[in-house]
Amino acid sequence: MNLDDALHTFIIEARELLEHMEEALLRVEQSPEDADTINAIFRAAHTIKGSAGLFGLCHVVEFTHVAESVLDLVRAGKLRIDSELVVIFLAVCDHLGVFVTQIVEGRTPDAETNRVSVELVSKLSRYLGPPQRGAAVTAVAAPEAELETEAGDGVDTDHWHISLRFGPDLLRNGMDPLSLIRYLGTFGKIVNIVTLVDTVPSLSALDPESSYLGYEIGFSSDADKATIESAFEFVRDDARIRILPPHSKVAEYLRLIDDLPQSELRLGEILVRCGTLTQAELDLALARQAASRDDASNPIGEVLVEQKLVQPRVVEAALDKQKQVKDNKAAESGQIRVNAEKLDQHINLIGELTIASAGASLIAQRTADPELLEAAARLSRLVEEVRDSALTLRMVEIGATFNRFQRVVRDVSADLGKDIRLVISGADTDLDKTVVEKIGDPLTHLVRNSMDHGIEAAELRLARGKPAHGTLRLNAYHDSGSIVIEVADDGGGLSRERILQKALACGLIKDDQQLADADICNLIFEPGFSTCEQVSNLSGRGVGMDVVRRNIEALRGTVEIDSTENVGTTMRIRLPLTLAIIDGFLVGVNGSSFVVPLDMVVECVELTPQETADSQGRDHLDLRGEVLPFIRLKQLFDIAEAPAAADVDDDADDEFDSATARKYNGSGHSLLTAEGAAALARDPELEFLLHPVKRENVVVVQYAGRRSGLVVDKLMGEFQTVIRPLGEVFNGIDGISGFTILGSGKVALILDVQGLVRRVAGGESRRNARASNYAIAE
Amino acid sequence: MLATQIEATGAQAAMPRKAVPGAVAEAEEQQQYLTFMLGDEMFAIGILSIREIIEYGDLTEVPMTPPFIRGVINLRGAVVPVVDLALRFGREARANSKRTCIVIVEVNAAKGRQEMGVVVDAVNEVLEVSPGDIEAPPEFGAHIRSDFIQGMGKIGGKFVVMLDVNRVLQVDEVAVAARRGSAETAVV
Repeated sequence: MNLDDALHTFIIEARELLEHMEEALLRVEQSPEDADTINAIFRAAHTIKGSAGLFGLCHVVEFTHVAESVLDLVRAGKLRIDSELVVIFLAVCDHLGVFVTQIVEGRTPDAETNRVSVELVSKLSRYLGPPQRGAAVTAVAAPEAELETEAGDGVDTDHWHISLRFGPDLLRNGMDPLSLIRYLGTFGKIVNIVTLVDTVPSLSALDPESSYLGYEIGFSSDADKATIESAFEFVRDDARIRILPPHSKVAEYLRLIDDLPQSELRLGEILVRCGTLTQAELDLALARQAASRDDASNPIGEVLVEQKLVQPRVVEAALDKQKQVKDNKAAESGQIRVNAEKLDQHINLIGELTIASAGASLIAQRTADPELLEAAARLSRLVEEVRDSALTLRMVEIGATFNRFQRVVRDVSADLGKDIRLVISGADTDLDKTVVEKIGDPLTHLVRNSMDHGIEAAELRLARGKPAHGTLRLNAYHDSGSIVIEVADDGGGLSRERILQKALACGLIKDDQQLADADICNLIFEPGFSTCEQVSNLSGRGVGMDVVRRNIEALRGTVEIDSTENVGTTMRIRLPLTLAIIDGFLVGVNGSSFVVPLDMVVECVELTPQETADSQGRDHLDLRGEVLPFIRLKQLFDIAEAPAAADVDDDADDEFDSATARKYNGSGHSLLTAEGAAALARDPELEFLLHPVKRENVVVVQYAGRRSGLVVDKLMGEFQTVIRPLGEVFNGIDGISGFTILGSGKVALILDVQGLVRRVAGGESRRNARASNYAIAE
Repeated sequence: MLATQIEATGAQAAMPRKAVPGAVAEAEEQQQYLTFMLGDEMFAIGILSIREIIEYGDLTEVPMTPPFIRGVINLRGAVVPVVDLALRFGREARANSKRTCIVIVEVNAAKGRQEMGVVVDAVNEVLEVSPGDIEAPPEFGAHIRSDFIQGMGKIGGKFVVMLDVNRVLQVDEVAVAARRGSAETAVV
């Protein structure tokens, strides 16, 4: 086993556990009685301590041990968890996180870290009560020790005796007796150790991978029995471990001697050598043992009963622990950790497969062989399914990201002295993992901003007739191919006047500029803008909001603000579901092909010459009584008329070369017999079918609740498509969000509808502004 | 034509494919250059930055970009931008001929290497030029930006402009131009 790998696993696990611990801590604050949550916290601390011990990370073990002891008190119901304790434990969590980071970086804890450790330990120790026989003895351990030693007759030694007989598979299971013994050394002192070599076979029969050794250890420690037992937690199943507390009864040693396979005398000697028993005590013990064998009223029996009085608790705890471990395993077994790189490679391949399948379908259509068509259809359906399932592999629920904000909200509201509650909804909304990773920072900024600037102080809230505690909502939902994340507060809202003043002062706008409400709100995303005069600890330095917008736009997303003064502000982030593959709608403009994300397409209508005339040269049409502005792609993109081929046959698909086009049309016409054509020619209503006219179509697209039209020549139908990033050269071009490769091998552009609209609207407003400036000048 | 292509790619394949150790070492070791034509002018590019030479065709135009960005092509599944060198140097645009082809070169970019296509009127041959035959670029007179020139190589008794592709196709600069192009069209 490579230790580096194991350490890596430990680090990943520790981070996950800390996350769970934090989550549980925040939950337990609301419901301090919830045993499951408390157990979860304890389990996390305990597992971290256990694994850290395996790697010899003493500082982590020591630190966690104290925390665990306090948690044990909580678990036993001896201590009530309150918000003060939660604060300490959150700090403990953070500190453990620091430890883990240092382990990752290969550093040992520095002075500052040690200082925090000491501080936290001293805070925690207060809960452990006055030290009894050393700092770490818990209240639970004390009576237990008394119980075991009360009835007099105890031996003089004041150290524990541990008897270890490991199973033969110990080494094969990746355990090392030496590390276990060293681990014991982390919370006590090994007084004496005797190694038993009786079971080691002759050299010829010896299996180097088996463990044959046994140990008798005299161990001086203030730790309680459970702690010592926990050292052997991982080997307990196949080893015989007996732990006798200090001052145990002679009878118990006797039982130990009885239990173990070694000859009585020898074991007795070993105990003496360990310093656990004196020679006199041993003699006494052996004599009593001899007597007891004759005697029916077996004193050892009594000891056993007594022992049972002590044991059930210990056994129960052990069973409990085992059960928890099993539960954890069951939950984990349903999941496999996969290298993200492998997954990306897999998804890329599926992307290629999608393209290849689209190409195959295209060829099948050209041959018009029904069997081939059917096969191609079946294939593309399967590929589509494979693609969908592959994409879900990358999907994670946004809940985990949202839950992190419990802590942020808690800490920030404490810092600000405001009472703010976080309400989360839509936590089960799925989102691409890469998006989730990158959305954390902008979201944090928005949340902090809402808390700092949005939600007012309690007095002001009461004066405005709102509840004293502010509410922050995080919500997520799917909307037409994108995911929407909302950060909403019930605070003061954005003051448009203040924004305008500030923007004027910063020179972002001019005096006579007239802005729509939405535009005013968007000013806060401009670099260097901040409405808050005083620089606070959290936000308000004027950096940030522009970074937020940039980060979101880098993910092909947008952010918009919906704010009502004195009622609240909602920040709405809209992001694409995945960065890899989309369902596209292929359209043709002259010779060029473009892809519109299918989720945005609402419908397609014909743009008749009549309608063009009705609009009097303006770019909008009447869509069932609604005004629909449209964009003429041909003009915007300045696409030249396609070469001669288009004149020959208007219906020819320019995407193919002319030879293919002929074939394509040939097959199309072959569907129509000469008789049929004649019949069509006679029917005045159907006659037009024989003379397809060049017509324009409007693809109606919807984005963020707004509709607009794209005027194109041809509608070429649905098309699954892999998004190829624009790359460094084309990054930042408004109106294009990526490339894709068509089945024919040609590259097509994926349209960014919002960018297009922004571009056209921006161009128009600039033109209008120029026009009005001229008017003023005149 | 085809023969030249094979020869060119063959020569490239024969070159040891190793990481470029540094500009200085590159200048000393690199002795093979691909010569090509833009109109009547001959240019040369060091062969180490050339990946392959392909036939011109199936180019997709990208709207709202400056004219010297001809568009993009599908190079075995990767989308590669194609630049018209003549337009980049401020020369006249010319119609495509049978000899027009795209030279795929690899240039340095912020995120590692980036492949780019260069439209040239014709490729000639791969030549060995010894470092002694390369002169420093003239301060003016070459009618292209002097920082585009790596040196003036003496080939067949004539000076040929040896291009520094990393400068000519500097990704940031081309990208800025692409964005500016998009902004200009937006105003109109």
